[in-house]
Amino acid sequence: MLVVENLHAGYDASEVLDGVSLRVKQGSVVALIGANGAGKTTAMRAISGMLKPTQGRVLLDGQPVQELGSARIAKLGLAHAPEGRKVFGPLSVEDNLLLGAYSRLPAFFGFRGKAAADLARIYELFPRLRERSQQAAGTLSGGEQQMLAIGRALMANPKVMLLDEPSMGLAPVIVQEVFRIIKRLKQAGITLLLVEQFARSALEVADYVYVMEHGKIAVEGVPDEIRKNQRVLEAYLG
Amino acid sequence: MSVIVQLVVSGALMGMVYALIAYGFQLTYSTSKSINFGQGELVMLSAFVSLSLINTGLPYWLVVPGGLLFGVLLGLFVERAAVRLALEQKGEGWILLTVIFGLLGFSAAENIWGRDDRPFPTPVPSDPMHFFGIGITPLEISVAIGVLAVMGMVELFKRKTLLGKAFEAVSADRDAAGLMGVSATRIIMLSYGLSGLVAAMAGILVAPITTVGPTMASALILKAFSVAVVAGLDSGFGVVVVGLFLGALESLASFYIGSGWREAPGLILLIMALALRPNGVFGKASIRKV
Ligand SMILES: Nc1ncnc2c1ncn2[C@@H]1O[C@H](COP(=O)(O)OP(=O)(O)O)[C@@H](O)[C@H]1O
Ligand SMILES: [Mg+2]
Repeated sequence: MLVVENLHAGYDASEVLDGVSLRVKQGSVVALIGANGAGKTTAMRAISGMLKPTQGRVLLDGQPVQELGSARIAKLGLAHAPEGRKVFGPLSVEDNLLLGAYSRLPAFFGFRGKAAADLARIYELFPRLRERSQQAAGTLSGGEQQMLAIGRALMANPKVMLLDEPSMGLAPVIVQEVFRIIKRLKQAGITLLLVEQFARSALEVADYVYVMEHGKIAVEGVPDEIRKNQRVLEAYLG
Repeated sequence: MSVIVQLVVSGALMGMVYALIAYGFQLTYSTSKSINFGQGELVMLSAFVSLSLINTGLPYWLVVPGGLLFGVLLGLFVERAAVRLALEQKGEGWILLTVIFGLLGFSAAENIWGRDDRPFPTPVPSDPMHFFGIGITPLEISVAIGVLAVMGMVELFKRKTLLGKAFEAVSADRDAAGLMGVSATRIIMLSYGLSGLVAAMAGILVAPITTVGPTMASALILKAFSVAVVAGLDSGFGVVVVGLFLGALESLASFYIGSGWREAPGLILLIMALALRPNGVFGKASIRKV
């Protein structure tokens, strides 16, 4: 389970997060929605340690991790598929996936054998990735890169997964495909914090929703409550 | 005709050493966008330490790993003492600090071993063998084999082990690598260790040809730097091609124009590279600040 308490973070002089608190229960899908520039990506970065919070706590299964930095937080079981996908372009699709499991594989020899079952599982979920396994990740289409970013995060067998705008810049058909995948992850019991601009679709898969405005959580509730909220309705679901 | 071929072959073999040192620059540049400006002294000190190991009576097959180990440790030391803090502060302090460490290394060598050039004994014979009328010494061949062997091993490491793939991941996208649990700090450390290894190998390989002295690597390093800049600091086997080319060109220049012109092609190449693609040197971001 992921608990975020009173998180503050920003870039150089400018503070973006102004006390964000949220929780993602084991096995639930939580959506974080809000306008462009509200600070959703900054929140994801501060949670996963890409950005050091200036104040507040991040608890992963009860353990405070806000001081640890991204590499150690990843080792503790938090996987973050970041905004813009950030696949390793020059490396092959398969190498990208293997790196997803870096924390729990041997560094020199025998890592392929140990990763084989997980790789097979990911390839089953994303058959396109199997077809392109030896291709450089940078040559994939945007949709395929997003699948790779999700697959790479899943390779960690994470306790909690953060998924930031997986549908960004993708064609409508591919966006539907992305949401099908998210539903499958939900069925598989993955604990997921999802940032999405397609708020309606996000509300369909989510168990609980946080709405972010100007670096703060403005509204929260189960999807049905959020849908009835007049202000949210006008701003994000119009 | 055969004179030209002879010159090209001997020169190109020397160029392999430039390529190896340039490859060492690429290793740290790809992970950290920084290089050790005292790398020439690292080459020289590793050669001196290897020579001292020979003088203790250690057999050659133990001297080589000993010298390489010294190079690795010195590379790690430079990263820890001169580079890490500057990179954490996102500054350019590593430039000055690595230059200073180079100067310190130079003084240390002068004080410990003196200013004289000393011969570096080797079990590899230096009488030329003749192939199609061209004389090549086994020593020259050992240089080529040594260079390709160590580069091949580092490349195998990068491609075949998961740690090596993590190395490539940090080079490609440091932030994303962090999200995989790969510590960029550790990988940068590793890259400095490997860079020290290849530089030490270069020192051990050229020492029998150039002799060992505090200034043995000062010309070498400038040319290795030219090769790295021309071939691209990011990565790739371009360094081998450019190294071979520069070595051959030098050898021709010193024969046909005069031995004083040996250094000219490397400098001209560097000046041309800097003029044509200034971004190739430290990337766009740093050039503004420097
Ligand atoms: N790397 C950065 N450096 C400086 N400011 C940034 C950076 N990334 C985002 N910001 C600023 O932080 C604010 C929140 O951005 P972000 O977290 O990306 O919002 P969202 O993901 O909700 O669209 C914006 O005002 C944006 O301009
Ligand atoms: Mg965003």
